Amino acid sequence: MKLISLSALLFVILLGALFIYVAEDIPDFGDPYSAPNRYIKLFSMDAAELEDNLNQGVIPKSLADKIADRGLPLPTRVKSVKEGEWDFFLVPEEKQQAFFPKEQKYYFIKKEGDELEVYRYALIIRWIEEGEEETEVPNMVTYGLADYRGYDTLGETTVIFTAGVSVLLLLRRRGKRPEARKL
Amino acid sequence: MNTGNSDREGGKEGGKDVIVETISRVMVPFIQLFALYVIMHGSSGPGGGFQGGVIFGASFVLLVIAFGIVNAGDRFPEAVNTALFSTGVYIYAGVGLLCLISGILYFGVIEAQYLNYGYLPLPVHFEERRALGMDFIEIGVGITVMAVIAEIFFNLAWKKEEDEGEGEGEGIEKGEPE
Amino acid sequence: MMEWLLEEVFAKYNYWISITIMLIGFYAMIAKGNLIKKLIGLSIFQTAIFLFFISLADIGPIPRGTAPIVSKEIIQKGYVYVNPLPHVLILTAIVVSVATLAVALALVIRMYEEYRTIEEEEIIEKERELGV
Repeated sequence: MKLISLSALLFVILLGALFIYVAEDIPDFGDPYSAPNRYIKLFSMDAAELEDNLNQGVIPKSLADKIADRGLPLPTRVKSVKEGEWDFFLVPEEKQQAFFPKEQKYYFIKKEGDELEVYRYALIIRWIEEGEEETEVPNMVTYGLADYRGYDTLGETTVIFTAGVSVLLLLRRRGKRPEARKL
Repeated sequence: MNTGNSDREGGKEGGKDVIVETISRVMVPFIQLFALYVIMHGSSGPGGGFQGGVIFGASFVLLVIAFGIVNAGDRFPEAVNTALFSTGVYIYAGVGLLCLISGILYFGVIEAQYLNYGYLPLPVHFEERRALGMDFIEIGVGITVMAVIAEIFFNLAWKKEEDEGEGEGEGIEKGEPE
Repeated sequence: MMEWLLEEVFAKYNYWISITIMLIGFYAMIAKGNLIKKLIGLSIFQTAIFLFFISLADIGPIPRGTAPIVSKEIIQKGYVYVNPLPHVLILTAIVVSVATLAVALALVIRMYEEYRTIEEEEIIEKERELGV
């Protein structure tokens, strides 16, 4: 074999070994509690008597202290979604009142075995649940592309316009006949 | 498939095939109608501007395959295509500018935003104005993508004329280093 | 051993498929001499990246996510929606890849007109003969 094919093969094998090493950080296929899919894991703590407090609608103090230790905002209301799962809501600060006028879902608690796991909702939750009321368009991808990310689509149109112009400038094939060009 | 510079009276190199010509003549309007459907129904189903524009451009490729590139190229002269490139971008940026101007006139300078379709001057309520603004934008994107894909295909497939010579600065084969 | 296999290999099979296709495309870009084969390798590489990114958006196994179009009957039946953010980003990336491929093909055509060959080694020899 040629020298460059051999060195390319070696490089590809080393790169493959690097990808195998990284594989333990990648989330499972179809994991509903992974970071890209709406939940970001914060910590987990012992259940003890906290479950009764949560079922009655009271936020236990130890949980609120642990959240405040990390520098995150404190929740104000609890609501139960299903058996063993709770949502925390919070009212936003003064500065963000223009964009988030209502109270928003922020934390998510799940009971698994003997421990309570605390997650944080990613910002995609507003896209999925409240997007259809704000824009009366059923398609999530379209109102995400054209309304919430409208600037990116403007840049995108400019990119494809530039590609068309560059191909036109590199290969001047069509156009007027050559007799008309010579003076 | 002959896509060279073949004339209709050319005969042997023309590649006149009755079945392909007839069927493509029937199919091309339906393909373009489907492309318009995909652009306009981007709100309530899968679709949108980019997808519909590519389907529209693909119908021009079908014309080139069936009729030869000179005949198909006469229908879309380069000047018209080049004007259509920029029309789509103007529509997009124009809707944004209209939102800004209308916001300044009706709501004041501080609250106007560039691409916020809620401030368009239309007689419906706030949320529906956002849906209509999105439809305008998808039309602009569809026009640009269609013109670009057709023009790229024509430029890549056009055969250069031999009698023009290899004049402008291609002296590498003649062996005269500078 | 069986646990490791089940957890690492079978649970993430989207990652392994995407890595394989990506490395095939990368090898083609480096090791082949023909210019058109390099461009084909570039296109294969980009396709593998899109596949990986979109497969991160799925939610399952029970209940499986459906297409992200809001409708009241689907909410009442209790289905879950797929995460729509990767779809939006990949739509932009596909358009960029088409634009890149078009300009690269135009460049290859111009190089063919100048050097009359599309093998990389012959082009290097011709350039060396000129004394550049």
